[in-house]
Amino acid sequence: MSKDSKMRATINQKLTEMGERERLKELLRAKLTECGWRDQLKAHCKDVIKEKGLEHVTVEDLVVEITPKGRVLVPDSVKKELLQRIRAFLAQHAT
Amino acid sequence: MSPAGCPHVNGFKVDNWKQNLRVIYQCFVWSGSAETRKRKKEEGGDPQPVALSRPLQAKSCICHMCGAHLNRLHSCLSCVFFGCFTKKHIHEHAKNKRHNLAIDLLYGGIYCFVCQDYIYDKDMEQIAKEEQRKAWKLQGVGEKYSTWEPTKRELELLRHNPKRRKITTNCTIGLRGLINLGNTCFMNCIVQALTHTPLLRDFFLSDRHKCEMQSNSCLVCEMSQLFQEFYSGHRSPHIPFRLLHLVWTHARHLAGYEQQDAHEFLIAALDVLHRHCKDDNGKKANNPNNCNCIIDQIFTGGLQSDVTCQVCHGVSTTIDPFWDISLDLPGSSTPFWPLSPGGDGSTLNGESHLSGATTLTDCLRRFTRPEHLGSSAKIKCSGCHSYQESTKQLTMKKLPIVACFHLKRFEHSAKLRRKIPTYVSFPLELDMTPFMASSKESRMNGQYQQSVDVFNNDNKYSLFAVVNHQGTLESGHYTTFIRQHKDQWFKCDDAVITKASIKDVLDSEGYLLFYHKQFLEYE
Repeated sequence: MSKDSKMRATINQKLTEMGERERLKELLRAKLTECGWRDQLKAHCKDVIKEKGLEHVTVEDLVVEITPKGRVLVPDSVKKELLQRIRAFLAQHAT
Repeated sequence: MSPAGCPHVNGFKVDNWKQNLRVIYQCFVWSGSAETRKRKKEEGGDPQPVALSRPLQAKSCICHMCGAHLNRLHSCLSCVFFGCFTKKHIHEHAKNKRHNLAIDLLYGGIYCFVCQDYIYDKDMEQIAKEEQRKAWKLQGVGEKYSTWEPTKRELELLRHNPKRRKITTNCTIGLRGLINLGNTCFMNCIVQALTHTPLLRDFFLSDRHKCEMQSNSCLVCEMSQLFQEFYSGHRSPHIPFRLLHLVWTHARHLAGYEQQDAHEFLIAALDVLHRHCKDDNGKKANNPNNCNCIIDQIFTGGLQSDVTCQVCHGVSTTIDPFWDISLDLPGSSTPFWPLSPGGDGSTLNGESHLSGATTLTDCLRRFTRPEHLGSSAKIKCSGCHSYQESTKQLTMKKLPIVACFHLKRFEHSAKLRRKIPTYVSFPLELDMTPFMASSKESRMNGQYQQSVDVFNNDNKYSLFAVVNHQGTLESGHYTTFIRQHKDQWFKCDDAVITKASIKDVLDSEGYLLFYHKQFLEYE
């Protein structure tokens, strides 16, 4: 595992241990619903299903189609806020 | 996509599969709180498989092939193996070991490698739902919203009754005029407010009232009928003669053809409904603290009264239920200004202070200010064991789902009877946080800057009905503005319903203001 992924794993562990990961998830969920991101992607899902046909579409099809769009559509302000939260948390609990 | 599951799960559904599946959900998918699970571990001798503590879970939920914790980690259902989905590590495992099923650790979905898609087996879905609920409970989240799934009986009813009413963004369903039966606008205006109270509407339209009264004089049944009339789609005005008759029967002081006070009618109506609802629950009518009827659920709040002894500073607290908050206005014989310092109420609620107009928040600040009771009203202090001077302060202990503010415009003092027409500006959205008992406690503990917690939406309200009185004390007329959709308001003037602008509503004098909680939590 590279140094980067090692750090990622350590941060993830710390966040999970202290329950911060769950809290961040909830915060992110609320923010993404608020700004309409969820609705946008839901509409895109419906388009994909229409395109591929209800009987043949798989979850994988949706994941492949939605993921890139979803990543791009996350507002910068939300990214900033999450990053800030994580930084603050790590600073508080630095060992 | 096969909503009925797939045949390949049969190989998995053997022996103690249900319990094994539960363990996987509890340990790796939906975990409860670290404390609870740690405690479970310490209790020892627990025959039930115990969920992992969070630190252990964090360490073990990584791909057995590459060590990553991201990449849509899946767990094999047939053995202890975690693998990335994105990097196809779990696919390799499935092929090599012929283990056809895996579970998505993020969302709990079951993947079948033969069908090459997620499958939805009824039994497994059931277990997943139960474990998720358990985890939410442990986390203190409680119930979360889940979509409605009709029962067999409901499907039957829907098939037998094919007529459907679609609610579009501009529909006028629920709007109906009321004929004035002789100075009955005091009743009509309240009926309009009640029939547009969302929770009350939902209660009656889903037929939740099961009447146990023998006679035909149940007011709740009549309300139920009224809601049916209002949401029937008929556009002709309704004639509420039966309602009027029942009101006269149960609230004698309102009988007669004179003009009555709409606020008095509101309280009387809620009281009768509350009493008739109680017969529903089979509870005794003389047990006011144990009622959980729809009226109490929607309208009842708790008002905290703190009396502080000026000598020993001991505080005596009582909490009384309330259905409305009656607010004094400037211009009445009771002094309004000066207000106590502190409390950001007005800026928080974005009310206009143009030309120094009094705001609803000003009235609330006055209502919750500490009041010195004076030497002629000494209270027996249990700390001092003697009569002492004291201060009294009112704050909100528990907020109702629907908050009704009554602006005391009608003065009935010994000297005069008059109407106070002072304009009070009120907002579309109201935050009651500054007036809560908990906020007062924080302020007293020196925490002045109340950070607006993004999750504390519990005190936020939206205006949905305004009852106005035009005219004088002797001869006047009541009308109501009600909110049909988010930014669509209508004016209800007895039989006449007209479209109104938000400006019309906010510029109106305001007598009774109805606010609805913006966010509702499950119990």
